[in-house]
Amino acid sequence: MPTTDPILISDLTLGYGTHTVLDGLSLAVPAGSITALLGGNGAGKSTTLSALLGFARARTGTITVCGIDPAADPDEARRLIAYLPENVALYDHLSAFENADYLLALSGERPKRGTIEDALSAAGLQDRAWHRRLGGFSKGMRQKVAIAVALLRQVPVLLLDEPTSGLDPRATADFNALLAEVRARGTAVLMVTHDLLSAADIADRIAFLEAGRVEHEVAASGEERFDVRKLHARFQLGAGRLAA
Amino acid sequence: MSTAWLIARDELRMMVRNRLAMIGMGLLLLLTLTAVVSAWAHQRGIAELRARHAQAAEAAFDAQPDRHPHRMVHYGTFIFRPLGPLAAFDPGVDAFTGNSMFLEGHRQNTANFGDVRQSSLLIRFGQLTPAFVLQVIAPLLLIFLGYGVLARETEQGTLRVLMLQGARRWQVVGGKLLALGLVALIAGAPAMIGLVAMARQPGALTLPMLAIAAGYAAYLALWTILIVVVSGFVRRGRDALLALTALWTVSTILLPRAAADLASAAVPLANRLQSDVAIARDLRAMGDSHNPDDPHFAAFKQSVLDRHGVSRVEDLPLNYKGIVAIEGERMTSSLFNRYAAASHAAQARQNAYVDRIGLLSPAIALRSLSMAAAGTDLEGHRRFLDQAEAYRYALVQRLNAMQAQAVRFADDTATDADADRRKRVSASHWQAAPDFRFVAPDGATLAGAALPGLAVVLGWLVLALAALGLVTRRLGARR
Amino acid sequence: MILLAHELRLLLRQRLSVMALALLATLSAASLILGMSEVQRQRDAIAAIPAAQAEDIAAVADYVDRTKDAGSAAYYSFHPTWDAPSALAFAALGMRDVSPYILRVRALGLEAQIYDGDTFNPELALPGRFDFAFVLVFLAPLFVIALFHDLVSGEREAGRQRTLDALPRGGRSLWRRRSALRLSLLWAALALPFMLAAAWEQVAVGAILAVLAVAMAYLLFWAGVAALVSRLRCSSVTNAAVLASAWLLLVLIVPTLANVAINAALPIDQGAEIALAHREEVNRAWDIPREDTMRRFYARHPEWSPSAPLGPEFHYKWYLAFHQNGDESVAGRVRAYRAGLEARDAAARATGWILPSVGVQALLMRLAQTDLAAQLRYQDRIRSFHRRLRTFYYGYLFTDRPFDRTDFDRAPRFGGDIS
Repeated sequence: MPTTDPILISDLTLGYGTHTVLDGLSLAVPAGSITALLGGNGAGKSTTLSALLGFARARTGTITVCGIDPAADPDEARRLIAYLPENVALYDHLSAFENADYLLALSGERPKRGTIEDALSAAGLQDRAWHRRLGGFSKGMRQKVAIAVALLRQVPVLLLDEPTSGLDPRATADFNALLAEVRARGTAVLMVTHDLLSAADIADRIAFLEAGRVEHEVAASGEERFDVRKLHARFQLGAGRLAA
Repeated sequence: MSTAWLIARDELRMMVRNRLAMIGMGLLLLLTLTAVVSAWAHQRGIAELRARHAQAAEAAFDAQPDRHPHRMVHYGTFIFRPLGPLAAFDPGVDAFTGNSMFLEGHRQNTANFGDVRQSSLLIRFGQLTPAFVLQVIAPLLLIFLGYGVLARETEQGTLRVLMLQGARRWQVVGGKLLALGLVALIAGAPAMIGLVAMARQPGALTLPMLAIAAGYAAYLALWTILIVVVSGFVRRGRDALLALTALWTVSTILLPRAAADLASAAVPLANRLQSDVAIARDLRAMGDSHNPDDPHFAAFKQSVLDRHGVSRVEDLPLNYKGIVAIEGERMTSSLFNRYAAASHAAQARQNAYVDRIGLLSPAIALRSLSMAAAGTDLEGHRRFLDQAEAYRYALVQRLNAMQAQAVRFADDTATDADADRRKRVSASHWQAAPDFRFVAPDGATLAGAALPGLAVVLGWLVLALAALGLVTRRLGARR
Repeated sequence: MILLAHELRLLLRQRLSVMALALLATLSAASLILGMSEVQRQRDAIAAIPAAQAEDIAAVADYVDRTKDAGSAAYYSFHPTWDAPSALAFAALGMRDVSPYILRVRALGLEAQIYDGDTFNPELALPGRFDFAFVLVFLAPLFVIALFHDLVSGEREAGRQRTLDALPRGGRSLWRRRSALRLSLLWAALALPFMLAAAWEQVAVGAILAVLAVAMAYLLFWAGVAALVSRLRCSSVTNAAVLASAWLLLVLIVPTLANVAINAALPIDQGAEIALAHREEVNRAWDIPREDTMRRFYARHPEWSPSAPLGPEFHYKWYLAFHQNGDESVAGRVRAYRAGLEARDAAARATGWILPSVGVQALLMRLAQTDLAAQLRYQDRIRSFHRRLRTFYYGYLFTDRPFDRTDFDRAPRFGGDIS
């Protein structure tokens, strides 16, 4: 077990030009847990992910992924992160299997054929779809391919950008089940989302991001889940204040 | 029509707001202007230079002292191919053919000192003339400006919006066509204005100019329609751009060169060494004036003696050496003409081969149309060669006749110290010989030569219009 | 290596890139075949010289044998010269289609002969040749554009760029890998057919390597232009339009402008003026005392001055002497003309340092020995051969030795003298 949390952000300030996006953000995601990051448009959710991936450099504060500063050593940080973008875009002219194979190769991994197929299966993709080209796939099916890749990476950190947007309830439930498995493996999961219901379903903690910092953070332990109605009121309140 | 006009206006506004498009258009206009000015200056410079050379050569001929006429046959004369006014628009093969020729007896010389052998290798990249700009560069600019006219609307989904607003398919297509057509008009205008300005020179002919104007207008219209057709056929702007650029490359860059290479491989040309040797061989078979026992010349001599009722050449009223010179020149010239005609026929077959490939490439058809109308194609050069040979033959035979009539046979064969003086005839004869004047073909001939090319371009235009109808019918249907 | 295999599969699954590569390979092969067949035609024409020449000379010998006059032999004998194509000529035919590679000369005034051309169809020469140099200089950049214009922007537009950038071996190293792969494939499409053709034509290894390196450098240049344009982060279609405009400028427009500029800046004393002056000089001899001609000739060529004085009748040594006087009188103009040609050529080569298209064309023509320098070298060889011809005939004429049938075989032959 690492002594520090895999995702550790403290007092992070970050911006472009004169525009400040993150303003004193602090957040820690321990291993084997799921944190949902909620916030309105422009609150800084995606920028937080960019900072973790090493695409954006902090002005002040620190950010580490398993003890590594992604801005200083993005290649090493990215080796430890699996990332699922909001719109999963893959190569239409490659099959599901080939896409997974290729992206894993770009991650420096060479799993066996059976391992990839198992992962596709675990991600909920039916076997007859494995070797079909992606051209005709729905968003859900594409996402399953991407999840399979993320699962196979076996990395300590998983970043998710709006993973359930556009999925039907059944697919969302499947996805959450998968995510629980990942957590059980000891992965630190950070999930950016608009969807409070889904977040409340699976996350261990929910952080509310407002004007570039975490305004509220609630935790749920064990079987006791979040009080969704209360949270919803708070979330609305936050959004209202942001708009004002 | 107002809907189509609105669509056209919107498209034009879009182009005007596109900075790259405006820069491209400005560059094209600048380039055309440069081409018109430089090609015109070049043509004027060449025309003046050749006229000056021709005058100098004529003056030198006229200034020759008293001489034996056969000396003048070898002194010969230089002639220069004049350059027609439309050569400023399309110089065609002018740079690739020699433009000066030395005319003398017994020999048919090549036209020498073409620009291509006096310029750097850059000349093989193409020559900056109005014809080059319109044939090659203007279509590519139209592609850059127009590839997206329909593809962009399809890609962004705005085509649906337009149609839901009540625009009919033909109005959409018509509007786009109108907009791009206006651009083509602007792109073509400076060169056409240049053409009209060149036409004000003396000697410019109306019919060929009309043929050129019609040809280029049809060609640019063809590209305008093709661009709209491809843009309406594909789903994405990028595909339209790549497809059109490929089409342009194949038709204007690749095919003209490939056609030329295939033609020269398919129809071989005899080189000069082979035809010279063959001419010498044929000449020996016909008769050898140097051989006293030659049967042809023996029979010829007998016929001359019989005609004058004498038995010895010394008794002839004319100088027999002059008569033999006339006969010899007649024989060599007939051979020269036969071999020149064979070579020209082979070159014409090569050009016909290229023209057949030209059915696939409107750029090739337009090029032959343009050169034919400007009189700067191979046929134009051939006209010069034919007239040069006719002039050479007439001049040489005139001098030979002079030898037959004005130089006594006894003097001509004498070798005493004073003989040289007695053989000479008065210098006034040289001044009396007519100068070479190239007779330019009339307008109807030039325009007529341009018709096959024009027919091909118009045929393409009809095909493109048919394709436009098809694309209009299925516009927005697939999506 | 595994990654490259992946990238290769990815590339070959795209119809556009497969078509582009296949087309480039086909064009390259076609241009090589056409170039090789043209060179073969030229070799055949040169190989056919001896037979035709033997027939021609035999007839002259028959005639001359009656008088045994060396002057008649010199006057009527045409001696062939030729410029055999180099092994690499098939790749860049250069100026060989418009300037003669076979020229027959007599021992008369050379300046009236050396500018003669051979028969060619000017309408076929006008568009230029479809040779390997054309495919490389004109067409290959378009294929680079087709494969590189959406290298990054395509991934961005497809929404994959962020995913790829977030992978440990994604990002810049991925673009480098992809560029290298595309570049090598394009290069292979050009180079493999070329290497086959070059091996067939037995081109020296050094020349092959030089052409391959030039091709790679030129492709790299265009890939670099594509990389610069992609930095503007425009859409794929804008990239394509900007790159195609760059091609239009660098390959078509600027070279033609440069041609106009060079020809205007470096006017050449027209070759026609040499011909006019030469003719005047040669024909004037008939109107001046023949002794003047001989004096001038002997002054420059004292080795022949012990020759017997001229009698009243015609003598070919006088005739050939005034022809040589004619050549010598225009030597200054000839030097100026040649200097002018070389100055224009040098200016075009200098342009090649700025314009890669021109530079590559010039380099290939130089390697293939089909450029102006090669033409001038051929002219030099003709001149030196012509000097030997003169010496040969003068040896008979100025000593009044009879010229026998067997003497025709003693005449100098072209080929041995590479100056």
